[in-house]
Amino acid sequence: MRLDSLLDYFRGQAVTIPPMDGALRPNTALDDGAAELLAAAAPDNLAAAGGQVLYSTGNDLLRLPAHGGGGPVAVARFDAPVSALACSPDGAIAVGLDDGRILLKGGALDGQVLAPVAFGGLACPTALAFADAGTLLVCQGSSTHRPSDWVVDLMGKNASGSVWRVDLAAGRASKLAGDLAFPYGVLANAPGGGIVVAESWRHRLVRIGAAGGATEPVLTKLPGYPARLAPTADGGAWLCLFAPRNRLIEFVLEEDAYRADMMREVERAHWIAPALASGAQFLEPLQCGGVKTMGIHKPWSPSRSYGLVVRLDRNLRPVASFHSRANGRRHGITSVAEGDGRVLVTSKGGNAILSLAVLA
Amino acid sequence: MTPIIEMQKVTKAYHGAPAIKDIDFDLRPGEIHALLGENGAGKSTLTKIMAGVVEPTDGRMLHRGQPVKFATPSQALQAGIAMVFQETSLVPSMTVAQNLYLGSESFLNRLRGIYISAQQFLQSLNFPVDPTATVGTLGTAKRQMVEIARAVKHNAEVIIFDEPTSSLTPEEKRHFFALMRRLKQRGVSIVFISHALEEALAHSDRITILRDGERVVTNDTATFDRDSVIRAMVGRSLSTEIYKARRTTNQLRQRGEKVLSVQDISMGNLVRNTSFSIYDGQITGVFGLIGSGRTETFKIVSGIYKRDFLRGGDVELRGRPVRYRVPAPAVKDGIVYVTEDRKTEGFFETMSIAENLHSGLLAAGLDKAAFVSRREMRALSAEWSGKLNIRAITDNAKVIELSGGNQQKVVIGKGLVQKPRIVIFDEPTRGVDVGAIAEIHHFINALADDGLAVVVVSSYLPEIMNLSDRILVCRQGRIVEELSPEDATEEKIMYAAVH
Repeated sequence: MRLDSLLDYFRGQAVTIPPMDGALRPNTALDDGAAELLAAAAPDNLAAAGGQVLYSTGNDLLRLPAHGGGGPVAVARFDAPVSALACSPDGAIAVGLDDGRILLKGGALDGQVLAPVAFGGLACPTALAFADAGTLLVCQGSSTHRPSDWVVDLMGKNASGSVWRVDLAAGRASKLAGDLAFPYGVLANAPGGGIVVAESWRHRLVRIGAAGGATEPVLTKLPGYPARLAPTADGGAWLCLFAPRNRLIEFVLEEDAYRADMMREVERAHWIAPALASGAQFLEPLQCGGVKTMGIHKPWSPSRSYGLVVRLDRNLRPVASFHSRANGRRHGITSVAEGDGRVLVTSKGGNAILSLAVLA
Repeated sequence: MTPIIEMQKVTKAYHGAPAIKDIDFDLRPGEIHALLGENGAGKSTLTKIMAGVVEPTDGRMLHRGQPVKFATPSQALQAGIAMVFQETSLVPSMTVAQNLYLGSESFLNRLRGIYISAQQFLQSLNFPVDPTATVGTLGTAKRQMVEIARAVKHNAEVIIFDEPTSSLTPEEKRHFFALMRRLKQRGVSIVFISHALEEALAHSDRITILRDGERVVTNDTATFDRDSVIRAMVGRSLSTEIYKARRTTNQLRQRGEKVLSVQDISMGNLVRNTSFSIYDGQITGVFGLIGSGRTETFKIVSGIYKRDFLRGGDVELRGRPVRYRVPAPAVKDGIVYVTEDRKTEGFFETMSIAENLHSGLLAAGLDKAAFVSRREMRALSAEWSGKLNIRAITDNAKVIELSGGNQQKVVIGKGLVQKPRIVIFDEPTRGVDVGAIAEIHHFINALADDGLAVVVVSSYLPEIMNLSDRILVCRQGRIVEELSPEDATEEKIMYAAVH
């Protein structure tokens, strides 16, 4: 084994993708077991507080209908796509926009704008969470790309993300951690203390002390790219994985020259890269002929998109999972929230908001 | 109609203990006669007498009504009786064509002519075997094909097949049965030993069932069904005991700690980026067709094969990366692989049960004494023979003299004396009779109940569905699907295995 660590220096350490088994065993719960609450164009950013659940679609912020039914209620419209959202216990809403601004609506600081300059330049708000009514945690996915350019950040193998604590009353932002590979989800007051951040490009969750400091991995080797986190009522957490890892993409990520050519010459939608939805166009990259047999899309075929929500226990270990497999349609799960007696998820790739059958 | 072969009160005893006793048997011209029975029932002994491999102790054999006594297989072959053995009798260092013509060579042979003729002959049988390939490089299924081809080649009027389909794929089996029907149409009589009862029921004209060296019944196949065959074979109905109804979630074992994590291991074209985990206290069933890479995958895990040097993937044992280059460190780490090919890799055939079991201890480094204690060896043998119900005619019997089921139990015992934490069974009941299947299944279940991580690799679907707490399906060198036994069906598993 000692020899291997020496040999790995020359032969390159194998990049491996952990299998989806154990608590992550594939099923069709998102396709067959989840009720579609409503159809929406690329819904994202679920946030629950005070008995109401908010979500965004494009530039719009909306409130989900309550149990009784009815349609969604418009809350606000912005001049840029909404990229992050959080609700505070006192009713304030923090909205991150694709251009880097963070706006506050409602509560004591209604109308306050946190400008990108507060975060050391161009900002990329990917996730927000209130630690308390006066403190906002901000995930900046990248220092060079906007949230909607996440695929460029991944294929550029960037690790310029950071996590910030913002004292809203004082208008002061302090950096808790830097050099993160696209932090895409944050859990304030996490089980075990501190805050937990989903570091997407490194396929892991890391813990950061409430006052900052070194990051400590708490859940590593995930089989996909983690996105938003949300607390559960029993002290655990929900985790979304917005796209799967696969061998072809891992290979492309290792081939720098090929990747540079691909990014320069091929349209972004057709890159060999993870996606929120796939299979819509014949121009998309496929992995040989292993996807369909006799017209049937094989659920285990390599896929650029996937739907996966994982339930974590108090130790942040996976205990259950909900999947939409390669042949499913509810892919690109970007956010989850437990509220109003339901567990809701947004399938950004599947254009739907779903209610999971877990709390009934 | 005069039977082509008739056995009258035939008895064969080894060391004074009868393997078969007072057996009457007849084979009619142009019939397919299935010979069924548990391992140790005497099927092989009876057919070996027919084929001149062994001589009977008592009784007589008639060939076309005339008493005969074959001293050698070649005498039987001259009389038109050929036997295709369970363990192939080909010469591994010679080519397929040379093996086909072995014994019937001319004084001067032109190799090219032999190859062309062998090619035509193999094609006429629909066997996709390269006549120029060295037999040693062929897989078990193809060796079996060559063996069958050799029997057909000798224009035998009686062909005895001993477990001919045990290592064939479903496709190859279809070819084999079609060939058997063609031979029957040509007037060839066939004796067909199989443990796959469905095959016997589907393809034979008459069935003879032996038990404990005695004939229980001979009758037309139409008068039997699966249950009546099993009842006659073992004296009780085992069908429900071996293959129970589908288990519910409550009956499945919950997974324990993740003990083995395999990520993207690769070995040439045989194993390709395969990933899976194994958990304590569970039986993980692995299904795949022949050539799907299931055996190779687990041979890599247990250090028998080496994964690719470059980008060969990772194997973690309880979170610790391991890369075994030989089996010894894997055995020391508690990983035991019980081979599918017991005759070649499983035991020392000329050694006794005790010596074989003790060799397991030596391999694991659990007996470090300078001298081997015969007394301890015997005690070890008594302990494991009791645990595994290994039955032998004498205490010092060589393993080669045991029945297939008992040989398999020795192989299992040899692995288990090493005190493993992960036990990988590769085709644990291949070539094993139904009685021994029940015992082996019971034992495998007991290991998982004791908290060990157990892997069962099998190409027999009812076995996988009955034993497993989770089912992995292997196709083209990769685990493609995981199913839970409660929602797995044979169709779902087969679909994943084929597509």
